[in-house]
Amino acid sequence: MTTYILKRLFAGVITILVVTVVVALLIHIMPGDPVRLLFAMSQTTSAAEIEAMRQDLGLDLPWYQQYFMYMGRMLRGDWGTTIRGRQDVFRLLWVRIPNTIVLALSGLLIALLIGFPLGFLSAYKKGSIVDTAAMTTAIMGISIPHFWLGLMLMWLFAIELQWLPVAGQGIKNLILPAVTLGLSQSAVIARLTRSSMIDILGQDFVRTARSKGLRETMVLYRHALRSGLVTIVAMLGLLFTYMMGGAVVIENVFAWNGVGRFSVEQIMERDYPVIQGFILLYAIVVVVVSVLMDIVYGWLDPRIKRG
Amino acid sequence: MQLQNSNEMLHKQMGLSEKRVSEFQRFWRSLLRNRGAVFGLAIFVFLIIIAVFSELIAPYSFDAMMAGPRLSPPIAGHPLGTDNFGRDILSRLIHGARLTLIVGGGAVGIGMTIGTVIGLIAGYFGGPIEAILMRLVDVLFSFTDTLIALAAVAILGPSLQNAIIAVGIAQIAFYARVAHSAVLVERNKEYFMASEATGAGHFRMIFGHLLPNAASPVIIMATIGMATAILNAAGLSFLGLGAQPPSPEWGAMLSAGRQYLTSAPWIVIFPGIAISLVVLAFNLLGDGIREAIDPTQRRSRG
Repeated sequence: MTTYILKRLFAGVITILVVTVVVALLIHIMPGDPVRLLFAMSQTTSAAEIEAMRQDLGLDLPWYQQYFMYMGRMLRGDWGTTIRGRQDVFRLLWVRIPNTIVLALSGLLIALLIGFPLGFLSAYKKGSIVDTAAMTTAIMGISIPHFWLGLMLMWLFAIELQWLPVAGQGIKNLILPAVTLGLSQSAVIARLTRSSMIDILGQDFVRTARSKGLRETMVLYRHALRSGLVTIVAMLGLLFTYMMGGAVVIENVFAWNGVGRFSVEQIMERDYPVIQGFILLYAIVVVVVSVLMDIVYGWLDPRIKRG
Repeated sequence: MQLQNSNEMLHKQMGLSEKRVSEFQRFWRSLLRNRGAVFGLAIFVFLIIIAVFSELIAPYSFDAMMAGPRLSPPIAGHPLGTDNFGRDILSRLIHGARLTLIVGGGAVGIGMTIGTVIGLIAGYFGGPIEAILMRLVDVLFSFTDTLIALAAVAILGPSLQNAIIAVGIAQIAFYARVAHSAVLVERNKEYFMASEATGAGHFRMIFGHLLPNAASPVIIMATIGMATAILNAAGLSFLGLGAQPPSPEWGAMLSAGRQYLTSAPWIVIFPGIAISLVVLAFNLLGDGIREAIDPTQRRSRG
C-alpha cells in the first residue's frame, strides 16, 4: 500500500513537471508578443520603452532561463502579475479556486446520485423497457452540450418560472450550475456503471452467492453493489477532472466567480502570466485530487491494499 | 514454378478479398439492423447534403442583415425566427453545417494522424521510446479532452483555426492508445517476425504492416471522435475562443444569442438542438459500428 501511494505521488509530481515544461516551451514559441499587443493601441510608446518592458518581464531571455526563473518564482508562491493592471496572479487565482472546486464537487455528487442508480438498474433489468429508456436518455445526455443545457435550465427555472436566480454567488446560485454539470455527467456515469455491472452480475462470485440460496437482495446489495461501487471509485479521479473541465464553461454560463470564468477572460486578452498560472493551478488541483482518489481506491480494493 | 507460385498467391489474395467482402456485408447488415445507427447515418448523410449545397438550400446568406424583422419569433418566411440583426436563423444554421463538418473532420484528422503515428511508433520500437511516449499519452489522457483543448487554445490564441488544432490535440491520446494496443497484438504474430527477420525497414514495417492492422479500430474510434470534437469545438466557440462573429458556427451563434435569452429564446434554442442532433448522430453511429464489429458488445434489445 505504501509503495502504491509513493508510486502515485511520484507519477503526480512528474506529471506536473511535464505540464510546466510543455507550457513554458509552447508559450515561448507562440507568436504574438504580449507587450506588443499591450501597446498596439498607443502609437506614442517608443521601441525603447517596449524593450524595457520586455526585459522587465523576462521575455527577452532564452526559454529555458525563463523556465527556471518561472519555476523558482512559482515555488515561492510568486506567480507573476497580470500584464494589464499588474495584479498578483497567484492571489487572483487562489481566491477563485474554492468556488470552482465547490462547483465541480457538487456536480460530481449530483452526477453520482443520478447516474449510478440508473446504470445499476439498467444492468439488472438488462434488455427491459427500463434499460432501453435509461440508455436512450443517457446517450442523449452525452450528446447535449452542457452549456446549452445550462442556458435552457436558466431559461426555464430562472427566467420563466423565476424559482432560482439567473447568476451570481451563493448557495441558491450554486443549484443551477451544479445541476447542469451533474446532469450531463450522470449520463456518462450511467453508461459506465451499466457496463461494469453487467460484467459483475455475470461473474462467478455472484452466481455462487445465488446458488448458495442467498436472497436476491442480499446478492445484489452485499456482493454486486459493492464491486460496482469500487469500479466507480476507480474512475472518480477522471470524473472529477471532467467536472473541472465542464466547470470552466458552466462558470461562464452562470457568471459563477471561479477560476474558469476569470481565466477565459484573460485568455482573450492574451495575458500570459494568467494563462500559465491557470494551466498550472488546474494541473495541480487535478493531479492532487486524482492521487487522493487513487489512494481511496487502493484502500477499498483489497487486491491493491495487500499487494 | 514461379508462375504456379504467383497463381497461388493470386488465389490467396482473391480468397482473402472475397472473405473481406462477405465480412463487410455482414457488418453492414448488422449495422442496418441497429435503429440508432440507421438514425445516425441518416443524420450524417443529411448533414453532408446540407453542407455541400448550403448556398442553394439556404433562403438567405449567413450574414444578410435585416432579412426579416429583428428578434422575430418563428413566423412564415423565417421558420426558426431571426436574431438581433434580423438575420434568418434557419439560413445561418444551414451555413453552419459546413463549418461543423470542417471543424469535426479537421480536428479528428489532426488527432487521428498524430495519435496513430505515436501509437505505432511506441508499439513498434518498444523499450524506452514506448515508455516515454505512452507515459506522455497517459498524462494527456488524465487531463481529459476538454481541459487539453482549453489549455491548447489558451496558448495558441482564440480563433476558429486554433480551436480546430486544439480540439485535434485533445484527441491524440485516444487514437494513440487504440493504435498502440493494436500493434501489441500484431507484434507477436509470425508474419511480423518473419518480415522483420528478412530485413524489412522500420518505415515499411510500421506503415506497411502495422498501420493496416491498426486502421480499423482507429476508424471506429474516429466516429465517436467526431461527436466529441464537434462538442468540444462548439464549447470553445461558445466561450469566444473559437469561431468569431459573424461566423454562423453553431457554438458562436449560441454565444452571441445568449444575451437575448429572455426576449428571444429561439436564438439560443435552435443552434443547441442542431449541435445535439449532430453529436447524437455520431454517438449512435459509433456505438452501432462498434456493436456490429464486436458482437460481444451488442446490447440485447427488448
